[in-house]
Amino acid sequence: MRRRTLLAWTAAGTAASAVSGAGPGVATGPALIEAVRARLADAPVLRGEFEQRKSVRGFRNPLVSRGDFMVARGRGVIWRTREPFASSLALTRDRLVARSSDGTVSRTIDAREEPAARVLTELMFALMAADLAGMSGRFRVEGELLGDLGWRLELTPADEVIRRTVLRVRMEGERHLRMLQIHETQGDSSEIRFTRVRAEQVPSPDEDAQLAR
Amino acid sequence: MRNLPDREGNAPPVSATGRWWGWRLAALAWVLVVGAVGWHQVGFWRAAKLNTDAMALLPQDEQFAASRLATQRMVQSASGMVVVLAGAPDWDMARRAANAARAALAKHADVLKVESPASVADSRAAIDSIAPWRDRLLTPQQRVWLAETPQERMVERALARLHQPGPGSSVSGWASDSLGLSEQWWIERASQTRARPRDGELWLRSGQIDWIVITARSRGQVFSLDGEPRLALALDAARGAATQAIAGSRVVATGLPLHAEAAAVQASREVNTIGWGSLAAILVLVWLAFRSFSPIFMVTLTLVVGTATAITVTDLVFGEVHLLTLVFGASLVGVAEDYGIHYFSSRQADPGIAPMSLLRRLLPGLCLALLTSVIAYLALGLAPLPGLRQMAVFSAVGLTAAFLTGVCWFPWLDRSAIAPTRFSGWLGASLALWPRLKRSRSTFVLAMGGLLVVVPGLSMLEMRDDIRQMQNSPAPLVKAQLEINRLLGLPSVAQFFVVTGQSEQQVLEREESLKSRLDAWVGSARIGGYQAVSDWVPSAARQTADAQLVKKAESAVVREINHRLGESLPVPLHAPGPLVLSEWMGMPGSAVARSLWLGDSAGGMASMVTLRGLADPALLPGLKALADEAQGVHWVDKADEASALLERYRRGMGVLLVMGHALVLGALWLRYRRQAWRAWVPTALASLLTVGVMGWTGQPLQLFNVLALTLLLGIGADYGIFLLEHPGDGSAWLAVQLGAASTWLAFGLLALSTTPALRAFGLTLMIGIALVWVLAPLMRPEPGTKGDAA
Repeated sequence: MRRRTLLAWTAAGTAASAVSGAGPGVATGPALIEAVRARLADAPVLRGEFEQRKSVRGFRNPLVSRGDFMVARGRGVIWRTREPFASSLALTRDRLVARSSDGTVSRTIDAREEPAARVLTELMFALMAADLAGMSGRFRVEGELLGDLGWRLELTPADEVIRRTVLRVRMEGERHLRMLQIHETQGDSSEIRFTRVRAEQVPSPDEDAQLAR
Repeated sequence: MRNLPDREGNAPPVSATGRWWGWRLAALAWVLVVGAVGWHQVGFWRAAKLNTDAMALLPQDEQFAASRLATQRMVQSASGMVVVLAGAPDWDMARRAANAARAALAKHADVLKVESPASVADSRAAIDSIAPWRDRLLTPQQRVWLAETPQERMVERALARLHQPGPGSSVSGWASDSLGLSEQWWIERASQTRARPRDGELWLRSGQIDWIVITARSRGQVFSLDGEPRLALALDAARGAATQAIAGSRVVATGLPLHAEAAAVQASREVNTIGWGSLAAILVLVWLAFRSFSPIFMVTLTLVVGTATAITVTDLVFGEVHLLTLVFGASLVGVAEDYGIHYFSSRQADPGIAPMSLLRRLLPGLCLALLTSVIAYLALGLAPLPGLRQMAVFSAVGLTAAFLTGVCWFPWLDRSAIAPTRFSGWLGASLALWPRLKRSRSTFVLAMGGLLVVVPGLSMLEMRDDIRQMQNSPAPLVKAQLEINRLLGLPSVAQFFVVTGQSEQQVLEREESLKSRLDAWVGSARIGGYQAVSDWVPSAARQTADAQLVKKAESAVVREINHRLGESLPVPLHAPGPLVLSEWMGMPGSAVARSLWLGDSAGGMASMVTLRGLADPALLPGLKALADEAQGVHWVDKADEASALLERYRRGMGVLLVMGHALVLGALWLRYRRQAWRAWVPTALASLLTVGVMGWTGQPLQLFNVLALTLLLGIGADYGIFLLEHPGDGSAWLAVQLGAASTWLAFGLLALSTTPALRAFGLTLMIGIALVWVLAPLMRPEPGTKGDAA
């Protein structure tokens, strides 16, 4: 099975980069990303629930939060935290807007006005939306395909600027991203698990408006 | 010298032989001088200390020391710097294009050295070095937010930030910056340029193009006299390599060296056209008139010695020679030949006379002609344009040297009489055919015609002193510069604020109050932003106030978070005292703004505040008003300042021109008494008519036209003098004709110059000299009446 997929990558004409010296089943580069993308469901909109456990330096206990999310392909992510308190985050390639429970904006980063922030918004967007194409240029990608549906990726930043923020990223999933682990350079780390993910065609008008701004 | 005792101790006889003796000494002395000049020339051309700085013809600010320092700083930091942008539709292609361009540039490392981009490690070091003062560095919005937000909201925000998905701020950990303030502060600092480090490159994205910024330094004096555009060739090679690597990629470049090179290449072409063109014309004229090699040889000799001496003296006085001086100096060829030609015309007319006696006869007129010309040329140097001063010295020295060569050497070199030629005979005789002005109908008609040109012409004349019309960089260079300025969001170098104060702290405080007014301008998008040292190092007062704000908020937030989450986080620690300027200056990240600090200036301290995204000229008066309202703040607009200076000097030189006319008339009166007007009126009339013609043709009058009219006075008066000295003498007329023709041609060629200032010179003199040429013989004295010479 694994051999067959490898052959398929070879056929895609990217054999050289597809087969790394790291041993059987471990592959790197664009071919692997292509294969994972082929396994991911290709829906315009994905919705689901999340649970995030964040370990922050200086804190004894992990910070746990829960809520739901929506990913509109190519457009952005909306992240709604319900517990321990309500807040929301709208993220596009250009822009990050965080809101408190009453809807007032608590943090804005606009890469169109502040190009310095573009690396950050693009990185967040790529990670949260599992935008693999957006990541391949910035990360060295290793990983493997698991069984007929599963996959696991480990990303290390190729870009110095990203390395300043992120040390390592792990992703696992099947048709959808199931788990995302981010190890930050400053020592913090977070693990997000996604459940009850389902495909839809369009975002709600309210979400649409949040992403359009 | 004549009175020195000779070897035998006898006093030399004051006789003809004594004069010969003196003349011989003068000739020998001049040989020594020329020998020294020759020796200097060998060294000069080997090292070629030619200045190609394109700013030399721009006026120097003379009013305000701090602003002058600021300008120097701006030019200094920009000089030698070339910014190259390689762009392609995506990052990977952009990198390949940039690498190809870099490889191509590496082959031209002798003219352009590519610098390595700032690394991420550098920016990390910058962040870390300033981190202890994080509580004292706030953006204006943060200051307001901290002062006005209820603690409960701050806690909420801190919690939200803690729970936010994905990586947090890259600047520092939560525990050391619980309010997350440094992220926004750094974003604001970083927004001073649009380029960001990425994969070891400086990157920016605009439209659909990823650009890579390559900085390079031109290697010293790249220009050489062969007129080869070495920088442009290197960049063409880079462009070619990039296109070959990635089809459709672009390479744009800008920088002062490129402008300087373009100007230099152009100037070297003009030196050749004007210099060789007028030399060739003179030699043809001399050959036609004298049909003998010795005048050609001797006239060429005066020109060569004149030019070489001019270059040598200019180099000794100024430490360098500007290329534009050579362009202007090339037109000197057409003026300096007058003395030689005058000599040979007289020699031809009177073959029997000894050269010495002939010279003695010509000397008073020649001296007077030299004097008027030299005075006129030196008057150019009164304007505060460094380039013009050089041109003035160059021309005055060149003329004098040419004159001395003729006077000292011609008697010894001139060994053969010159036979009259048909051409010279015809030219000389044409004087008799030339009408003289009498009280007649035709004179009246002519006068009316003149009035018709002058009066409406003057009323239509437009005064324009805008320095921008002096811009003469090639259009593609200007376009590339604008594009790169837009892409990189670079601050304007021609308009900025200068802030002065008694002490460092006062300057920083004044900067802060200026910036708080500018914030409104940024808010309404009238300007993109500003850059100031106090962005990095706020005044001590502000730092203390900010630290108090932060301390209050931070302790409350940490206490509340500890309480809610059951943690025991400490309140972040910060530096005990304010960040001081000297400390910051030594930090790795200070390079970006260090040059804004001007330091000691006129008994106090001074700094610059520069503006980004200033596109609308209509906003300039508002910014000036902003400075006028504030204490110790000065608005500097180089273009405006230069234009105002040009205007002031146009007026000043205008007055001087009138005084010069009076002076020349006075000098002429001393020698010619009631005939003096005959030498003066042609030039005065020609000047008026020239200005009239400019009015009619819509040419604006500016400083350089006025300066050209000053020169016209000096040169034009010569023709009148020659005709007055030798009334009815065909040979004098021949000399005037040949001289005027070559001068006219030299300035005609100068009028082709692409340097607007020189073009204005050339055009004005071309019209003016043609007019004097026509008018001077009209006013000549009646043949046979000797001028009332003493």
